Amino acid sequence: MKAKRPAPGWLWFGAPAAIALVLPLLVSSAFAIDIFIRVLLFAFIGVAWNLIGGYAKQLSLGHAAYFGLGAYTSTILLIRFGVSPWIGMLAGGVVAVLASLPIGALCFRLRGPYFAIATIATAQVLMLLFLKFRDFAWGAEGTTIPNLGNSPLMMQFDAKVAYYYIALALLAIGLVITYQIERSWMGYYLVAVGEDEDAAEAIGVDTLRIKRQIYMISAFLTALAGTFYVQYIYFIDPNTAFSFNVSVEAALVSIVGGIGTLWGPVVGTVLLEATSALLQSWLGSGHGGAQLTVYALILIAVILWRPSGLLGVLTNAYAHIVQARPAKREALIDG
Amino acid sequence: MAEALIVRNLSRRFGGLRAVQDLSFSVNEGETVALIGPNGAGKTTSFNLITGYHRPNAGSIAAFGRELVGLRPHAICAHGLARTFQVARPFGKMTVLANVMTGAFLHDRTMDGAREKAHEAIDFVGLSAKEHLPARDLTTIDQRRLEMARALATQPRLLLLDEVMAGLNPAEIDQAVALIERLSQRGLTIVIVEHVMRAIMAVARIIVVLDHGQKIAEGKPEEVMANAEVIRAYLGTGFVHGAVSGAAQC
Repeated sequence: MKAKRPAPGWLWFGAPAAIALVLPLLVSSAFAIDIFIRVLLFAFIGVAWNLIGGYAKQLSLGHAAYFGLGAYTSTILLIRFGVSPWIGMLAGGVVAVLASLPIGALCFRLRGPYFAIATIATAQVLMLLFLKFRDFAWGAEGTTIPNLGNSPLMMQFDAKVAYYYIALALLAIGLVITYQIERSWMGYYLVAVGEDEDAAEAIGVDTLRIKRQIYMISAFLTALAGTFYVQYIYFIDPNTAFSFNVSVEAALVSIVGGIGTLWGPVVGTVLLEATSALLQSWLGSGHGGAQLTVYALILIAVILWRPSGLLGVLTNAYAHIVQARPAKREALIDG
Repeated sequence: MAEALIVRNLSRRFGGLRAVQDLSFSVNEGETVALIGPNGAGKTTSFNLITGYHRPNAGSIAAFGRELVGLRPHAICAHGLARTFQVARPFGKMTVLANVMTGAFLHDRTMDGAREKAHEAIDFVGLSAKEHLPARDLTTIDQRRLEMARALATQPRLLLLDEVMAGLNPAEIDQAVALIERLSQRGLTIVIVEHVMRAIMAVARIIVVLDHGQKIAEGKPEEVMANAEVIRAYLGTGFVHGAVSGAAQC
């Protein structure tokens, strides 16, 4: 940010951004683009989760609640009222923020594993509710999203690449927000809460308030991902929108990459999705879950070997190769 | 002199245990008061009551003209009361500077402003050389220093120090005493819980003695040292003639 210091700031953003921007020009296979879109989307959800789950260490396993609310809000607005999903996306974000208030008020009374369990329950309750909303939200059958052909104003495109760039933009927004928070009082307060809530209170941190605030931001961003996802797959039902997998994946990519770090969720998603895709093509689906077993073993190994995430391994390796001067930049967190 | 802290008829039970019973004392602005007593006398519980970590069953606590009972700890800190913990609780993965900046953000939300205030506090406790170390890598005394700097960065008017000298060697105790004296000279009101008698005699103007949750004596150090009940409950016979040898560390 400061002109005096050469590089890192913009380089860390610039290099990955450049690669991400030209990638679809180099790889044209629809299969590859589809994987890239999933990587970007889950990296974005991971980034949103990381704000509350990584920096403040509130292990939410219910982010599917906001993903689903975003998905349903934009879909209902689109099908019932003809509102563009672009607007529906923001509306979904607002709905998620509103929902996060009572959910946060209930769950933040609990600490540790009890908090995690409570958040799982909120997502499951929402899923059950939407299963019952037959007239209003198509119940268990779900609905397809009417295909309007190529209409950018309705967030529908013939070219898959367009979805790629939307997902990339979402991820960029998430990273910029995280970057700003990390470099402000809010980032310090969040890490303090994650480290020791009582000690944070002792120096004037309103721990409940900061948790609620960051939860709102996290919920808003997760809802955007929900809208994007249903627009991309043209289908919605409660099991997709409120899938427990979304909640788990959001946490998992961050944990594998490195919680409470800017790039952790991105690194985690790239590694996990690449592993998963490679295993699928090598082992196929013919060996009765062999692929999932190996995937799980790799996960366990990573978490045992590097509980603080793989981003640290990469930056250490980088420092080792370049022999960068030790921690010149003002680090909020070491390493 | 105005009163910084007035504790009245404070009581707190934990099940059948009366941790603090009907405790009253007050602290004048700019004064250093020590709370002493055997283990389990209710010193730390009193701190937790004053700083909002426990709610009293009865009684009132007023600081700088405002009732504190019912406020959450962060609000009490914002009112000008900062504390340290008996076992230091640094934010381990943050650097020393980041730890102290987190305290400074209470009154200054800008990075530059907070950094400046943090530097000042770190300098005051003598940790400048270790500013960029992660807090978890510090030694015990440095962690205590850090906690003090973090508390000071919130710009308190009243500082509550819970056994900052436990586990320190004699030279380190001298350093800590000097630090507390300098804080007092800056006009800070200090309440200190401590077992190290040598340190208490050096810094405290008033000593409040607790036993089984009750106040058994209060007064100037010499008076309290001569009090028969205090000697029986806490100090032991070595103090009968007011001989403050400095060796008595319970």
